[in-house]
Amino acid sequence: MQVRRTRLPVMLVSAAVTALIAMAVATPASGADDEPTTFTVGIKQDIDSLNPFTGIVSSAYEMYQMNYDTLTDYAAEDFSAQPAMAESWETSDDGLTWTYKLRSGMKWSDGEPLTARDVEYSFNRIRNGRYEQTNYGNYVAAITSVEAVDDTTVVMKVDKPTPVMLHLYVYILPEHIWKDIDGKEVRKFDNEPEGPDGVVGSGPYIVTEHQKGQFLRFKANPNYWGGKPAVDEVVFRVFQNDDSLAQALRRGEIDFADDLGSNVFESLQDAEGVTTFDAKYSGFNEIAFNVGAALDDGTPIGDGHPALKDVKLRQALSYAVDTEAIAERVFGGHATPGTSIIPDLYQDLHYDPGSSAFTFDPERAKQLLDEAGYREGSDGIRTSPEGRKLSFRLFGRSNSQTSQQTVQFVAGWFRDVGVEVKPKIVSEDALTEIIGQGNFDLFEWGWVVEPDPNYQLSTFTCANRSYKDGGQVYANLSDSFFCDEEYDRLNDLQAEQIDPAERAETVKQMQQIVYEQAPYIVTVYYDNLQAYRSDRFEGFVPQPDPDGSLLFQYGTHSYRNITPVSAEEPAGDGSSDQAAEEDDGSSNTALVVGGIVVAALVLGGVGYALSRRRADHDVE
Amino acid sequence: MSSTQEAALASADHPTPRRYAGGGLGTYVVRRVLSAAATMLFVLVFNFFLFRLLPGDPISLYTRGRNMDQEQLRELRRELDQPMLTQFVDYLTNPFSSGVDSTQFSRPVWDVIGDYVWPTVILLSTATILSAVIGIAIGIRGGWSRGGTFDRVSTGTSLTLYAMPEFWLGMVLLILLSTGVGPLPGMFPSGGTITPGVDKWSLDGILDQLWHLFLPALTLTLAYLAEYALVMRSSLVDELRQDYLTTARAKGMREKLVRRRHAVPNALLPTVTLVFLNIGFVVSGAITVETVYSWPGLGLLSYQAIRGPDIPLLQAIFLLFSISVVVANLVADVVVAAVDPRVRA
Repeated sequence: MQVRRTRLPVMLVSAAVTALIAMAVATPASGADDEPTTFTVGIKQDIDSLNPFTGIVSSAYEMYQMNYDTLTDYAAEDFSAQPAMAESWETSDDGLTWTYKLRSGMKWSDGEPLTARDVEYSFNRIRNGRYEQTNYGNYVAAITSVEAVDDTTVVMKVDKPTPVMLHLYVYILPEHIWKDIDGKEVRKFDNEPEGPDGVVGSGPYIVTEHQKGQFLRFKANPNYWGGKPAVDEVVFRVFQNDDSLAQALRRGEIDFADDLGSNVFESLQDAEGVTTFDAKYSGFNEIAFNVGAALDDGTPIGDGHPALKDVKLRQALSYAVDTEAIAERVFGGHATPGTSIIPDLYQDLHYDPGSSAFTFDPERAKQLLDEAGYREGSDGIRTSPEGRKLSFRLFGRSNSQTSQQTVQFVAGWFRDVGVEVKPKIVSEDALTEIIGQGNFDLFEWGWVVEPDPNYQLSTFTCANRSYKDGGQVYANLSDSFFCDEEYDRLNDLQAEQIDPAERAETVKQMQQIVYEQAPYIVTVYYDNLQAYRSDRFEGFVPQPDPDGSLLFQYGTHSYRNITPVSAEEPAGDGSSDQAAEEDDGSSNTALVVGGIVVAALVLGGVGYALSRRRADHDVE
Repeated sequence: MSSTQEAALASADHPTPRRYAGGGLGTYVVRRVLSAAATMLFVLVFNFFLFRLLPGDPISLYTRGRNMDQEQLRELRRELDQPMLTQFVDYLTNPFSSGVDSTQFSRPVWDVIGDYVWPTVILLSTATILSAVIGIAIGIRGGWSRGGTFDRVSTGTSLTLYAMPEFWLGMVLLILLSTGVGPLPGMFPSGGTITPGVDKWSLDGILDQLWHLFLPALTLTLAYLAEYALVMRSSLVDELRQDYLTTARAKGMREKLVRRRHAVPNALLPTVTLVFLNIGFVVSGAITVETVYSWPGLGLLSYQAIRGPDIPLLQAIFLLFSISVVVANLVADVVVAAVDPRVRA
């Protein structure tokens, strides 16, 4: 039947679509020459707070160090102490008095003078504030007094010598702003920018805008002591998945992507104008043993397998894990086999077991197990001399693909040497609880190690085992329940060694103890996969030199040193639509396949419907 | 609870169908409001206990990543350790109290939700309106000329779209229209609601936001449209057999008027119910699409809260979602009753 249909809605919709498409084509082209240069970084998690006393996610610390400077900095080359606000410092012979000499003539971003008074204020605020201490307490724990002697001299006294005085990563805050926010208000204070002048600070960039869940915008600080950085603006944009992050980089909407997944990273390797960078990182993963769960006072807890208290068993099992296979097959080669608990990124501190390493050798593992009295039963599973079957629960983390794969590999290797493994996959929160109560045999997890080894080393001390409070057992830092007198003694020693070389010696000895006692099998040191628009920015500074991370470092080295690729060079006409056009050339098979699949599905649907109608007609 | 189930339950209370007595819209609305209030109370109580059943130490969640010693943790635990009854009374007297802080953002939970609610409402209401209008129009046209080319093509396409996972459709559209493939240039941004640095309220800013809205709204419209088109089509096809249409034609009414005045209003009811029921989910957002386009909405926020886990935030979000569904059900019941007196009994 012929019915005239009103076409108005259709026309309206198509008009709207046309207008939007026209806009879409027009909008990116509006990048004029006089516009400020903007460096845009894609991040995968929004920050939790701009208040440096409140935030805890790692991306938030990137924002704080942009906005606020510190007394000393971690050098890009090797993490050694480097002048920042303080141009020099010295310590008394007994190591109890530290004098910091500030640069003269420093100013806050609002033009107010920045003096030693602000430093004194910031440290005392943390020393006297309970809330303020939650994030920075470890830096001020030993400090007994902070005094601004004159505008450029700060003197601090400590009750015992401590190397932390070289790396006081405490953000210096403007007293004239923060004095109005008392100890109660600071908990609620969000420190959000309220105008184009942004949040008053002293770092190379000042945050001027924050759209929650979307982006943060920074402008170069003309009052920065190191001079105004070359790039006018830095924007951090939040992406919720790896794929859109990669697409945005391809499109040139962003200039830098951090922490990419290995699939996405590899797909970017042949994208035009994009350079991928396999950066060495400070994280390691491990298989941890329950070496005898107990409270800090030595009371045993939990239901761990008693055989795991035997160091010979743990050493034998260390020979059974092929760390190279994990690096290659689980991490796609974006990792290196691990050994000790300080990654080799920190070259000065890392302990290398050399020829005494537990390199993968199943025959050796079997032989050691036999020697230690773990005899194989008729079912191929060994039993301990006490007659208990070697059957272990191995926990993996449900939110991590690599964790689950590692668990599967390890279970297979252990079975090969006659040890039964029952993999269990749980959430990280459930696992935290399980570990704290000592209700496990083995688990897979990891740590990210700071340049100061103190925290990492403390995870193996007797005092940091679980503790009791009101009848309840609570987890502490230790997750293997390792406890060794000599280790604890060395830990106290390194905490007071100011000379970096002497301290490194002690730290290496401690790592050796942990390596040989094997509460952990460190599986890999994994990489941080980064990618950037090399057609638009250059001059990134890796930390450490030459293959460390380009951004998200200890310090703002890259942000201060990058420059736009000059327009004269034939390769880089950096406007975004240009970048998008260049991108068309690089054929990405996945995209084309996706498009074809959609088309095929739609056509398939149409065809199916047509054939069905026809069949119906036939019946009629 | 769907309105038909409700009607069935209501009629079970009255074994003799009372066609006229008590069928006033006013009484009906009062009954519905009361039942919605009861549901809401149940949700409120359930919500409280649900989150207290979760394992784990709340203090270690609050203090994760912070440098606190055992003594501080012990003190904090003592501060927060109130008897369950006290907690319950506190919660019931003021479930919306802004005193509770999100463990992730260290801000009152309702403030955090406030930041994320508008992008969701804008995206989901755009998609709902577009998909309802276009879906109903397609359904009418297809159903009226059942078996025609348009019907066959639209039904096939609708079924295909209906079967597609939203995130996958989103990803494909992102690649096609944002990155660009082959000769097709990349035209739309890959995510967010606005270009950094553009003033939200300026003309440029509004256009820029529409430009950002296009892809997520398109994805959701395509995903929702199929449902409306299919339901509308089938209910119109049911009406086609009715005698009153023959009567209308016999009166000499033009085909177009038969369709517009008689068939469509009757066939609209199921679709209208569906639209209003779906409005309840407008607030809860579309987690998958919001994730693909990094759209800072409540869907994303709930994902973040789960990933935390940020229990106070999650609890508030659950409460908000439950309330919006209950309210949408109520509105759907009332609207349908207003349009169709038959349901009021």
